Amino acid sequence: MDPSLYLARDTFVHRLDPRTKMLLLLGTFVLAFVFLDPLYLAGVMALVLLFGYLAESLANLRRVWFILVAITIISTVLWALFGSGQTPLFLVVEWEALLYGIAIALRIDITVVAGMIFLSVTRNEEIATGLARLGIPYRFAFAVSTALRLVPTIAATGSTIGQAQRSRGLDLESGNALERIRNYVPLLVPVFISTIRSTNVFSMALESKGFGAGSKRTFFLRISFGWRDAVALALFAALLGGAIALRAAGFGGLEGFGG
Amino acid sequence: MKEVFTMWRHTQMVVLVALSAAIYAAVLIPLKGFPIIPGLIEIRPANVFPFVFSLLFGPAGAWGAAIGNLIGDFFGTLTVGSIGGFIGNFFLGLLPYKLWGAFFRRGDVEPNPNTAKKLAVYVAIVIIVSLVCASIIAWFVALLELFPFTPVLLLIVSNNVIPGIVLGPILLIALYPRVKQFGLLWTEIMEPEEVSASRLQTLGNVLVWVGGIGALITGLLIEAGGFGGGITVGLALIPFLLLVVVGAFLLGGREQVEAAEEMMAADEAPEARTS
Repeated sequence: MDPSLYLARDTFVHRLDPRTKMLLLLGTFVLAFVFLDPLYLAGVMALVLLFGYLAESLANLRRVWFILVAITIISTVLWALFGSGQTPLFLVVEWEALLYGIAIALRIDITVVAGMIFLSVTRNEEIATGLARLGIPYRFAFAVSTALRLVPTIAATGSTIGQAQRSRGLDLESGNALERIRNYVPLLVPVFISTIRSTNVFSMALESKGFGAGSKRTFFLRISFGWRDAVALALFAALLGGAIALRAAGFGGLEGFGG
Repeated sequence: MKEVFTMWRHTQMVVLVALSAAIYAAVLIPLKGFPIIPGLIEIRPANVFPFVFSLLFGPAGAWGAAIGNLIGDFFGTLTVGSIGGFIGNFFLGLLPYKLWGAFFRRGDVEPNPNTAKKLAVYVAIVIIVSLVCASIIAWFVALLELFPFTPVLLLIVSNNVIPGIVLGPILLIALYPRVKQFGLLWTEIMEPEEVSASRLQTLGNVLVWVGGIGALITGLLIEAGGFGGGITVGLALIPFLLLVVVGAFLLGGREQVEAAEEMMAADEAPEARTS
């Protein structure tokens, strides 16, 4: 099992410093919240997709397309029913509420696609090192990176244990909803025990290698903030500033939605 | 809440954070394909783990639940809602061990729901902590006006309560003796002075309940009564969520570590006499 979204490509986006990629991701989250007009949000989505195309990471859309479609349908239906507007459309649904639902769907879709692009162009090690270099305490960053690295291992262990338990007659599919949940017990207990029992050995191995011995750490993976990063951040800051100015000037809003 | 920060001094606790997060994420990720509200909520039998981690690993379980949920989002659903998920899951892992300490102060404090009283307390804790977690996440997405408060809250509550009650007691009864045998209970790893003392523990317990139930009722009433949208819900819930945070501070936890030390000393005394 390889649940990682990372795609090894040689694009200028891949070569950016992980801190730059994190800031671009956070900036995109902000950008998605500037506008409320679906047309403007569609423009933001087009920009994000263009960035993904340049990063050669849109192949991963195949892994999230179901989520994107479901978000669009559920958000549109939920807000059309729960929200209120001024222009009746049909039954209890009003035009502004429908537009709002589409806008919110686009907002969430933009953040999902941006998150997917970030994970497609950034290795787990880069995320951990980037977090530490951004000032996040090293031990926290270490826990995040170790957990990220262990997920495929534990998932593989779970798969092996699942096959072993099935060969002994475990049936995860039978019974009602509660029984199905309870069927997971013979799977969860061995996965938990087999992972947790390595804690003491793991801790001793870390301490024997000097974990926490020094206050200043060095990193095997060296990252550096270069001119490419400065240009990328400057361009994005200009884009975000322009979007905020546009919104402040009265463009890109949605009139008539009553919540 | 001191222990939430002092735990990082212990390598074992750091490793427990990483392993808890990895287990939680590894069980969450295969179910990413079955979202209820995509980008926010999936079918999650794995949601039993924050309760189990919390009662066994204390603050390491809280960080493990928060990081595990975030890593789960790294595999396809990383959105701005992930920030709310991180905070909500942190409290899902933080409150169970603190509330347990408020119900069982001295004597048999072991988080092993093998008696009727302990089981009843465990179920009550699962319900209130699920309410708090759901209120935080639903509050966050309502404040950002991503989704209405009510459906998100109800889905997260059911998603936490059902696995927590159905799987939790069985897992704890099966896992507690083994984790104790490995010497990995948080009360055995941490020192009493590293854990904040309980001040007005009963008041802290009451504040968590009032905050959780108050947030639920207020949010539901505002939306059902048509008194406003996400921003209104978001602002109205802030006092209740602050009550939960204050309650968590007052609950402390030092007494649990001291009780565990007394139990270990009592266990070791007969062994020393026989040798």
